[in-house]
Amino acid sequence: MQHNSSLIPFAALFRREVWRFFKVIAQTVITPMINSSLYLLIFGVSLGKNINMADGIPYLAFLIPGLVMMATLNNSFQNSSSSISIAKFSGELEDLRAAPLSASEIVWAMSLGGLVRGLMVGAITFLVGAIFFYIYEEQLFTIANPFTLLAFLIGGGLAFAKLGLAVAVWAKSFDQLSAVGSFVLLPLIYLGGVFFSLDGLHPVWQTISKFNPLLYFINGVRYGILGKSDVSVGVAGLVTLAALVFFHFLARKSVKKGEFGRW
Amino acid sequence: MNNPVEEQQSHKPLEINHLSKKYGSFTAVNNVSFSIEPGEIFGLLGPNGAGKTTIISCITTLEEPTQGEVNVFGHNVVSDTKNAKFNVGVVPQEIVNHGFFSVREILKIHSGYYGVWENSERNDFLLKRLSLWEHKDKKVKQLSGGMKRRLMIAKALVHSPKILLLDEPTAGVDIELRENLWEFVRELQSEGMSILLTTHYLEEAEELCDRIGILQNGHLRKVDKTKNLLQELTQRHVSIQLNKEASDFESPYLIEKKEDVLKLQIPSDLSVGQLLHELKLEMTSIKDLQIQEGSLEDAFRNILHDKQGAASAT
Repeated sequence: MQHNSSLIPFAALFRREVWRFFKVIAQTVITPMINSSLYLLIFGVSLGKNINMADGIPYLAFLIPGLVMMATLNNSFQNSSSSISIAKFSGELEDLRAAPLSASEIVWAMSLGGLVRGLMVGAITFLVGAIFFYIYEEQLFTIANPFTLLAFLIGGGLAFAKLGLAVAVWAKSFDQLSAVGSFVLLPLIYLGGVFFSLDGLHPVWQTISKFNPLLYFINGVRYGILGKSDVSVGVAGLVTLAALVFFHFLARKSVKKGEFGRW
Repeated sequence: MNNPVEEQQSHKPLEINHLSKKYGSFTAVNNVSFSIEPGEIFGLLGPNGAGKTTIISCITTLEEPTQGEVNVFGHNVVSDTKNAKFNVGVVPQEIVNHGFFSVREILKIHSGYYGVWENSERNDFLLKRLSLWEHKDKKVKQLSGGMKRRLMIAKALVHSPKILLLDEPTAGVDIELRENLWEFVRELQSEGMSILLTTHYLEEAEELCDRIGILQNGHLRKVDKTKNLLQELTQRHVSIQLNKEASDFESPYLIEKKEDVLKLQIPSDLSVGQLLHELKLEMTSIKDLQIQEGSLEDAFRNILHDKQGAASAT
């Protein structure tokens, strides 16, 4: 008989989560990669030629970190939220409830699965961006602070994977789930400084933007890659850590008390 | 430190004590208590909405009990969840789809959930035993209804559980497959597995179960050995054809008299010998004798309609 302390159920769920998105890799990795390439081509290359950033940074270089974090956050969120919502339809979620997995193990296994997808798509976006940069700026695109970059990608990706899990367990239908994605997360991401710098905004909008946690996630990554950021990297780190802890407990509560029945 | 094997042997596979489950003002399960002995097949019978699946859901923690407790080999399913769950295999009433994975992959994933990382040998055995081997690379949606049902059973058995919960496993399954599954369930029992079976098919319960509990509106109305239930709550039908026309024949058991044939209904505990003695009939006067035993369906109907007075759970 297996015992309480066995890590195999946790590892099995993590493996399943990664396996699941590899099964539909065209949807989960290739499509986001094409999206990122289009953003880079249209905004970074075509429109970016006419945009002058402070400190003389090419707009393409400014854009790449934002797109990397946007891809990581979106895909981490999508992986755990779609895994849960599909499992609610198929009945697999009931299997998960009946299995010897604690709420924390479910949250960690699923969020790590989401993080793997987020980091994969983030890394591909970075590579595509670096290729565009080499072609159009004729220089290598380097990373200023690799460990800071990794810390923000992991922290943000994990936080969003946990948020995706919490929202999907809470949601009573696909509509509710997509409403959170479309009406809450997408505006926060787009207004979180992916495409613009705070410096270019009116002071009122600068103040409002500072209440958007996504601004700190994205600027953390920008600091990691470019060594420059609109906000203090320490504050960005604290906000990311706070979001990670908050979303972890939110996801854990959802899994413990949430509805595991079928849609 | 306690030896886990000894500890497991000293507890019953399943103990349900004063279990109640309420949804708002509706009580789905009302103060139900019963236990399952090692190696026993226990049948939970009841009409739709009696509370059978809710009890299973409380064991698997899909539902949290409002009151009472459920223990699996002494491990409480709420406070010692993981140790309880490692011992349990569940075959749910509804089919689980698993859109992305093949049959073989599903068993691999499920083995991992139950703490067995490398389980190819056991999984392949189950696929062969349940006639799924040729379909191992198919997705669930490509399987027939019967194959899906067998896959659910294979999933529940990947970790060789000590207790198996079968929630209407043969619903919508053809006769041949149903008998095949019964044989498999008996085989599992002979290996020492304890089984809790819920079913609508009374024939299935009569065929398989050592003991039966009858649920109605969330109440456990009766628990007893299948044999005892049949004896206590059913009547035998005896048809006697005499050598000559029966005239002036009187008996409290007589239900029909037609020329030389007497049709009688007797309690299950009354033997035919005793009946003939009471009727003062000589064997030489009897041309033919037919006995039809009472069925579980009769017992079930009697309990639900309370024909036998106040039935109680024992």
